[in-house]
Amino acid sequence: MKQAAENTPVVEMRNIKKSFGAVQALCGVDLVLHHNEVLGLVGDNAAGKSTLMKVLSGAYIPDGGDIFIEGEKAHLSNPLDARRLGIEMVYQDYALANNLDVAANVFMGREVVRIKLGPIGVMDYRHMEQETQSLLSRLKIDIPSVRQKVERLSGGQRQAVAIARATAFDAKVIIMDEPTAALSVSAIDKVLELVRELKAQGSSIIVISHRLEDIYQVSDRMIVLRQGRKVSDTSVEGDIHEFRERVVAYMIGARDDFTEKTVA
Amino acid sequence: MSFINDARKMLRENIREYGMFIALFIIMAVFAITTDGLFISSRNLVNLVNQTGYIAVLAVGMTLVIVIRHIDLSVGFLAGFLGAVAAIAMVSWHLPVWVVIPMTLVFGILGGLISSFLVAQLGIPAFVATLAGWLGYRGGLQLVTISTGTIVIPDEAFNAIGNAFIPDIPDIGILSGIHKVTLFLGLLAIISFTSGEIISRRKMQKNHFEVLSTGMFTLKLVFVSVLIGGIAWILAGYQGLSWTAVVVLIVVIVYDFITTKTVLGRHIYAVGGNPEAAELSGISVKKITHVVFGSMGMLSALSGILYAARLRSATTVAGTLFELDAIAAAFVGGVSAAGGVGKVMGSLIGALVMTSLTSGMNLMGIDISYQYIVRATVLATAVIFDVTTRKTGK
Ligand SMILES: Nc1ncnc2c1ncn2[C@@H]1O[C@H](COP(=O)(O)OP(=O)(O)OP(=O)(O)O)[C@@H](O)[C@H]1O
Ligand SMILES: [Mg+2]
Repeated sequence: MKQAAENTPVVEMRNIKKSFGAVQALCGVDLVLHHNEVLGLVGDNAAGKSTLMKVLSGAYIPDGGDIFIEGEKAHLSNPLDARRLGIEMVYQDYALANNLDVAANVFMGREVVRIKLGPIGVMDYRHMEQETQSLLSRLKIDIPSVRQKVERLSGGQRQAVAIARATAFDAKVIIMDEPTAALSVSAIDKVLELVRELKAQGSSIIVISHRLEDIYQVSDRMIVLRQGRKVSDTSVEGDIHEFRERVVAYMIGARDDFTEKTVA
Repeated sequence: MSFINDARKMLRENIREYGMFIALFIIMAVFAITTDGLFISSRNLVNLVNQTGYIAVLAVGMTLVIVIRHIDLSVGFLAGFLGAVAAIAMVSWHLPVWVVIPMTLVFGILGGLISSFLVAQLGIPAFVATLAGWLGYRGGLQLVTISTGTIVIPDEAFNAIGNAFIPDIPDIGILSGIHKVTLFLGLLAIISFTSGEIISRRKMQKNHFEVLSTGMFTLKLVFVSVLIGGIAWILAGYQGLSWTAVVVLIVVIVYDFITTKTVLGRHIYAVGGNPEAAELSGISVKKITHVVFGSMGMLSALSGILYAARLRSATTVAGTLFELDAIAAAFVGGVSAAGGVGKVMGSLIGALVMTSLTSGMNLMGIDISYQYIVRATVLATAVIFDVTTRKTGK
């Protein structure tokens, strides 16, 4: 991973707008992610968190605004474009194919080819399985076999596979949309551990979560969205109770740092 | 003792895969007994293979269509219609057979692409889009045969595809009366299967992947070898391998290779398993839909050719209900209605099961109405089996 100018942000999104029909999901959001930083993204349901991140991962094309990756303007018209720039996303619903095995999911859409016969590429199973195996051990993910079908894995294991997949190709930026939703307490700890591990290995990460204690535990900084607008952008500090109260105040609209006519 | 445990474990874990082999075996055994061995005579089995041919190629294509969560109802009459087009091309346009066959296959691909255009580009449910195809091709078939009725095909090379057998070497004194080339091909198949399995097992062991125990592995090799050898021996006892069987084998081998070994195959199953995930991973769901329906169209054309060649003519009702036989064969062969699951080889077995039922019950002189009910029961059992083995999360 090349560490470009330390103070150029890895990601900078400026004035991002996106609407779906009459619903204005994002009304001009700015977001900055620095090198080797974990950024928490919170907000009420339908605040626009997933939409903002899908814009960054190329799944949605914004109606307006600019995206800069390591200082260079990026044109993301599909998920492949974003992947090529090193942006990977773990989707809210895992986005795995349950009928395929772990290795197949990790390499989905990026299969390693052994021989090319015209338009037909013959896969290199062995290479993909070995790579997956070493990836899982590097991330300390405990799955019995890379040949296990995903439908036979537990929720926590699936989330781990989804995260492993996002990290498989030297991603610069990893986005995780509610990685701890629907998981047991011990599985949540595993996922948070994974986030720390990835940070230690040099990645920059954005985590969306409704569980404020998760954000508090792993994030360096936090952005709060409310009704498609950014209302807070501060570093994570202080004690957890004070933190929680502050975040909730932003989420329900009692506080707002980015509008002139501040609500009481 | 550990051997029996191994066997149990293997059976339990692969019950979905072995289920249809077991079903086919039971059906054949029952008919062998009830028809006093007539069912497993060389002559009947050769016939059975030829009858299975035109359904089997459709079932192979249908497997992939169902894997990507669609259905194609148009394949039967597309096959019938294109069979008639091929006949007209030879009889009225006087085109040589080596032009007619590729041309018909290309027409088939175009037919498939019309369906996929409606499905992928316009978002019309496949059921409706291909029902329109069913009606349209049926009309087309009647239109082109309206003035002539049944079109008799005089071209012997064309008809050979549905009736003739691969040539044999001249009599060399030993094994006279037996088709030696067929036996030799059977032997070749056993050798290549066995060596392929041994090599891949070695490789897997070298990379510390779990493999079958030596006992189970040997048993599997012996079982498959005996099966291939037995079939080759029986076929060789009559007139050997038919051209239809050769065509089906080529189709099955090519499709099996594509679905299990290539990136295209992996993408087809990924789309079937989770289309949104596939799309987000950069796989074009539309492209896969076009490829799968295009291939289905090509195989429909092939089915039409096999059927017309077998009857030495194109009839006004050719292809009627083929689509339902193909769909049933795919489900019996282990394809899952939920999408993402199903093997080409399984659908071949499924097609064999369905034709065996027809052939066996015909030999027994069972009334056609009961035949339908029996086939319905087998199909329902297969789907119930699929659903329950899935639920127990094997
Ligand atoms: N594909 C879409 N089509 C139409 N509307 C959409 C689509 N995606 C999001 N929206 C709308 O945009 C708004 C923001 O949705 P988004 O999914 O970004 O919220 P979120 O903050 O991720 O919420 P949650 O916490 O519930 O996941 C919502 O009103 C939602 O209904
Ligand atoms: Mg969301």
